[in-house]
Amino acid sequence: MEENLKDAAIAVPQPAPAVGGENAAGVDKDDSAVVFDGVTFSYNDQPSPALNGITFSVKKGEFLAVIGHNGSGKSTLARLINGLLLPDKGKVTVFGLDTSEGKNPIEIRKRAGIVFQNPDNQMVASIIEDDVAFGPENIGVEREEIGRRIDWALGAVGMSAYRTGTPSRLSGGQKQRIAIAGVLAIKPDILILDESTAMLDPRGRREVMGVVSRLNREEGLTVILITHFMEEALLADRTIVLNRGEIVMQGTPAEIFLHSERLEAYNLSLPRIGRICKALQGAGIDVADCLTPEILAEEIKEAADCRGIEKREVHSVPPQRAESAHEWDIDVKNLTFTYSAKSPFASKALRGIDLHIDEGEFFGIIGHTGSGKSTLVQHLNALIKLPQAEKRYRAKKPKKGQPAPVLPQITVGPFNLADKKCNFVKLRESVGMVFQYPEYQLFAETVFADVAFGLKNFRKGISAEETEAAVRAAVEMVGLDYEEVKDKSPFDLSGGQKRRVAIAGVIVTRPHILILDEPAAGLDPLGKQEIMELLHKLHREWCSTVIVVSHDMDEIADNCTMAAVISEGAVADCALPRELFKKAEELTSLGLDIPLTAKACARLKELGIEIDTDFTCEDFAGKVISLFNGGDNA
Amino acid sequence: MLNDVTFGQYYPAKSFVHAMDPRTKLLALIAFIVAIFIADTFYGMILCAVVLMATVIAARVPFGSVLRSVKGILFILILTSVLNLFFHGGEHPLTPPDSPITIYREAVVYTVFLLLRLFLLVMASAVLTLTTTPVRLTDGIESLLTPLKWIRFPVHELALIMSIALRFIPTLIDETNRIIAAQKARGADFESGNIFKRIKAVVPILIPLLISAFRRAEELGDAMDARCYSGSKNRTKYKKLRFGWRDLVGAIIFAALIAGVVLFNIYAAQIWPEIYEYIIIT
Repeated sequence: MEENLKDAAIAVPQPAPAVGGENAAGVDKDDSAVVFDGVTFSYNDQPSPALNGITFSVKKGEFLAVIGHNGSGKSTLARLINGLLLPDKGKVTVFGLDTSEGKNPIEIRKRAGIVFQNPDNQMVASIIEDDVAFGPENIGVEREEIGRRIDWALGAVGMSAYRTGTPSRLSGGQKQRIAIAGVLAIKPDILILDESTAMLDPRGRREVMGVVSRLNREEGLTVILITHFMEEALLADRTIVLNRGEIVMQGTPAEIFLHSERLEAYNLSLPRIGRICKALQGAGIDVADCLTPEILAEEIKEAADCRGIEKREVHSVPPQRAESAHEWDIDVKNLTFTYSAKSPFASKALRGIDLHIDEGEFFGIIGHTGSGKSTLVQHLNALIKLPQAEKRYRAKKPKKGQPAPVLPQITVGPFNLADKKCNFVKLRESVGMVFQYPEYQLFAETVFADVAFGLKNFRKGISAEETEAAVRAAVEMVGLDYEEVKDKSPFDLSGGQKRRVAIAGVIVTRPHILILDEPAAGLDPLGKQEIMELLHKLHREWCSTVIVVSHDMDEIADNCTMAAVISEGAVADCALPRELFKKAEELTSLGLDIPLTAKACARLKELGIEIDTDFTCEDFAGKVISLFNGGDNA
Repeated sequence: MLNDVTFGQYYPAKSFVHAMDPRTKLLALIAFIVAIFIADTFYGMILCAVVLMATVIAARVPFGSVLRSVKGILFILILTSVLNLFFHGGEHPLTPPDSPITIYREAVVYTVFLLLRLFLLVMASAVLTLTTTPVRLTDGIESLLTPLKWIRFPVHELALIMSIALRFIPTLIDETNRIIAAQKARGADFESGNIFKRIKAVVPILIPLLISAFRRAEELGDAMDARCYSGSKNRTKYKKLRFGWRDLVGAIIFAALIAGVVLFNIYAAQIWPEIYEYIIIT
């Protein structure tokens, strides 16, 4: 259902102010929920202001998206609205109340609620209904009324069934819906989402966005959505683009996204479909600008009909795959794993995984949160040891008449992980592992010391010169200036730089195989792109195999040479991306997304045009162009 | 290391004891402790043990998990009983007069008494934590402390601190596990070496964990502000604890227990005069 929302939001033509840096002046005061009037704000420790002379207003019932790269001032904006921060210059008024006046902030917070980024860090109670009750309790709502509000708020986010449960066992999307309910229970008129979907997987993101759009449409809630997911901004009535603390563009999402050059100048990327549109238009194919895969497919069909193209199929020979040495192949057989086994809370994470990864692949492991993909990769460098490799393990005698139980087996290159005598330290040196949000594991006083940590652990007694050379190579590999950062504290770096330092700390030992769990999580589009480029460079120059665990299908389609889908602790499929994403229905039935290019292909197939692509944006556009060129020739 | 996702020892079940109000259970535990400490005859002690057994049966928790709770203090139990056995004085030596150590009858009786007391104390506390979630326990403590508001004791703040701590324990355990795994992947070794090496090895876990805890605290503070938190003034409370018929039954049983223990203390001599001197502590 949520899928259709996107289309609906685009299809409705909206009269909107012109795109540009102009402010939306002349809005009727009584009609506005939030008004920013020349607002400037600086943080104490920073020289340049986070927001500089911001003027805009939000109408009651409007759905406004605010987009901008990391550090553009988006989150500061949210905190200024409800008085968590006060402007240095200018005025912020919410329903006519000035945020910097006396007791106004409390009154404003009753009317404008914020949902923050990390769902874990906004819950106060261990029982869901207690947590939702927290807001109404604070403003002194009567007991019976709080009960009614909990009913209503949990119903509005579709979580009524979990009322007496505990949040720690919920998925990210569910937790964030609880956080929304916690804000709704205060009965605000404005809902502000401060990058509330940044830490969620696509399913969670869809859940949250579905709830938010519905609240906007049905309850008339004013929504201010702060995000760096361009696809989410498409749901809004109006979009504001922030760059370095200033509003640089505003208009309907469709208007905004037609200015691809300007967006790129602001470190934002065009949604993928928009990029394909531009490529097709560049090749002289007459498609209108559009932002969803289905409409793109229809546009292509229409253009094809206009040109009278007969040939309806484009086939391509799959590129020859390089023959690998197979020296560092990974082989997993019959892997099962249960968390907290033998306790009342036992949960099966893996139910018999069989997987083979050839040396030289850029391998993608796909699955949503809780599918077991992280548990699987932690086995590959024996962070979770196979049971028979544990010191205390004694083989059980099989019961009479029953076959001996099949034990899981893993080999990684020359290492047999089922062997007690396996050198696990050497294994971990050869199989580097970068965890999700790796910057959270930084600890040393200087970047140099942090990056050298792994090196000194693995190679006891390594000389100072060798250490220096290896650290320098690793830091430069991740694209940082060694001389500039080596003596800095890692905590003084920006978010993207921290992540690079953390990756340097893993690759410093030059592992053969590099495993990364959600390497691009929480980054803005440009940051994502840079990290993926870094991984490709590593794959070419340093590590023979790169394994990326991700829930972002477009990321997998664009980058991987081979991909496995993990669902409910088993391998649902393992194939070339070009084969895998053809099975759109199977993937959707597993609750997974498919790449936007695959969606467009599926729709085109329904319309009678088959395109054989590997589902990267470039290849898809290229194949469509060759369809048209072939048609011209015929 | 910290691979248990659950904390505390709550044992989920549907039982008479699980359904009782946490305040009743807390008060009953206090009553029980009073009873085992005022009892100075074995009659009273046995009565306490019987009541505890009945509670365990009514709670439908496995008896093993109640017994296991004693494991933690086993060392202290052994140490204190040995010390008491040898150093408690008395008038009736049990050992031959020429032996180097003298053990008195009174010492044996006293040691058995002490053991019974500690056993029952720990087991009774275990029944409380096995049948009450930490959240309910916090609610109960808050409610019982409410009268202290009169002397300006920050009851609400204390309760909120406890509740937030409980809420973040699983989150921080997860976080710790993740950091341990990440540093292990970078070759950190937490399991070998002498005590100093091990303490030093903890630094790469502790620092990221502290930084993360501070970051979480800051974000939580903002989130609480955004949800209109401004201290206990004009605050209402959604959750109200309610006493039910089970609580009445419980209250009667534990009141009767204390009465019974006191009666035994007074009339023990008349029940079976011959063994009287063996069943009281002096």
